[in-house]
Amino acid sequence: MNVSHTDAGKKGTTERRSFLTWLSSTALAGSAVISALANFVFLKPRATYGAPSRFSIGRPDQFPSGARIAIETRRICIAREGNQVAAISTTCTHLGCIVGVADTGFACPCHGSRYDQDGNVTGGPAPKALPWYQVKLAPNGDLEVDTNVEIKAGTYYNL
Amino acid sequence: MSTEPSETPTAARGSWKDLPQNIWTSVFRHSLPSSELGQAQTSFTNFFLHIHPVKVNRHTLKAGYTLGLGLMSFFLFLILTVSGVLLMFYYVPSTTQAYDRMLDLRGSVAFGTFLRNMHRWGAHGIVAIVFLHMCRVFLTGSYKKPREFNWIIGVLLLLLTLFSSFTGYLLPWDQLAFWAITVGTAIAGYAPLLGEKIKFLLLGDNTVGQEALLRFYVLHVVVLPMVMTLLIAIHFWRIRKDGGLSRPPEADVTPGAERLSVQVVSTPQGKQAFGFMGLVRGPFTKVGNVPENTVFSWPNLLVAELFVFILTVAVILVISLLFHAPLEEPVNAMHPPNPAKAPWYFLGLQELVSYSAFWGGVGIPGLEVLILMLVPYLDRGSGGIGKWFAKERLMANTLFLTFTFLNIFLIIIGTLFRGPNWEFTVPW
Repeated sequence: MNVSHTDAGKKGTTERRSFLTWLSSTALAGSAVISALANFVFLKPRATYGAPSRFSIGRPDQFPSGARIAIETRRICIAREGNQVAAISTTCTHLGCIVGVADTGFACPCHGSRYDQDGNVTGGPAPKALPWYQVKLAPNGDLEVDTNVEIKAGTYYNL
Repeated sequence: MSTEPSETPTAARGSWKDLPQNIWTSVFRHSLPSSELGQAQTSFTNFFLHIHPVKVNRHTLKAGYTLGLGLMSFFLFLILTVSGVLLMFYYVPSTTQAYDRMLDLRGSVAFGTFLRNMHRWGAHGIVAIVFLHMCRVFLTGSYKKPREFNWIIGVLLLLLTLFSSFTGYLLPWDQLAFWAITVGTAIAGYAPLLGEKIKFLLLGDNTVGQEALLRFYVLHVVVLPMVMTLLIAIHFWRIRKDGGLSRPPEADVTPGAERLSVQVVSTPQGKQAFGFMGLVRGPFTKVGNVPENTVFSWPNLLVAELFVFILTVAVILVISLLFHAPLEEPVNAMHPPNPAKAPWYFLGLQELVSYSAFWGGVGIPGLEVLILMLVPYLDRGSGGIGKWFAKERLMANTLFLTFTFLNIFLIIIGTLFRGPNWEFTVPW
């Protein structure tokens, strides 16, 4: 915008006008952006209908010592050593396929990732180890797993 | 255009016997053209034809130049829209019903199998043809000034085509669908910063389930087609405003008439005053006896378009009669098929992903798209427009072809040479 420097009064008018133009266009553009972002707030569900993250897996004596039992519907594997128990995720950390429980640990059928007994990566494209989830004995005597709480690999729950 | 009835006097009321004729002429203002004026009016006053220029350069009509690939993409889009809307009458986006509805289409809906075949093969076709169309535009240097932005719209349309087919193959809710979406959204999860948020927004949940099916359905049948329709309209509109399809400079002049043409263009009076015509870049209907290398769109361009249309429909019909669209086992969320393969056009990506999820799924594809979008701004030479494999563009074309063949090579590896656990196998 051309501002005339010879006439002080005119200059003030022009500056006020350009400031108001700037202000109103910023306000309009800002409202448009906020409205657009609000759509994403709407699209992000507050409650989900999927499987619960905390669930019971049954009595501790269903898992004999030395057993590694995959609970496919929950996408976890229960490992028990003596009176210690742990829950390891069976969702491949690469791209979310379900890993199979093999003698050497876990193997993914999709892109060939391999893990050892503790879920550490031993081969393939997986970028990180299988997470371990918190296991607790619920007051009713059932074992309870919370897949929202990841714990350090190798941390067993003492029964 | 003048539409005044010159034959009949305005005062006459006319007889009832003329009623059918009156209705007909009110809808169709012109009879089939028998003069040049009529040919011009047809393109100018008909809603469906007015997207065409009145006259079109002879070079544009050369089948060997465009190969009709852009038109084929558009006609496939129409075939997919029509067959898709018809399939919607029987489809339910529910995890408990979707697969049964696929079986119903096969077993109890008239032409159900046939329509699904058309929709599936049309989807494969549009991915291939849109890609080839991009190759044509590149190899003829057609993205250069003033068509840079139209190239970007084209790249966006290619991405939307891929995303449409991706959202489409979740809908049958079979094993391919379920595991392709599991893998695909996991790839989205690797995007920097917002990855996990995008994944959650796409799935509407933490795992692939009912919410994901509904979301992909809405994207597939409403959001993506609407955005694509808008971009296609802009794509076409810009072709007109950029003076029609790209062509070499010599295509604008009839051989032997250069001198007169040059005189007209360089008339100094032309600069002093101009009407709206002065704002139009490229060819418009020139008045007087200016030599130009154009022909009327009616019937030349329309016949060419009709030919490509019939060819596209015929090929899709024959393929749909001969081959059935695949449908795998119903979803088993506990057991991924081994190997879990996406459709062929994503297998190059899947091959890359098997080395590194971030680089194969996000990093390299992201860079490829970015470079593709920047192509018209990086390649600043102005030579070789409108010619296949122009000598001036040897470097650019070689780079592009290397890049293209590398992607095709990865697709072949992923399709034929990968077996269970994604281990290397030989197909024979």
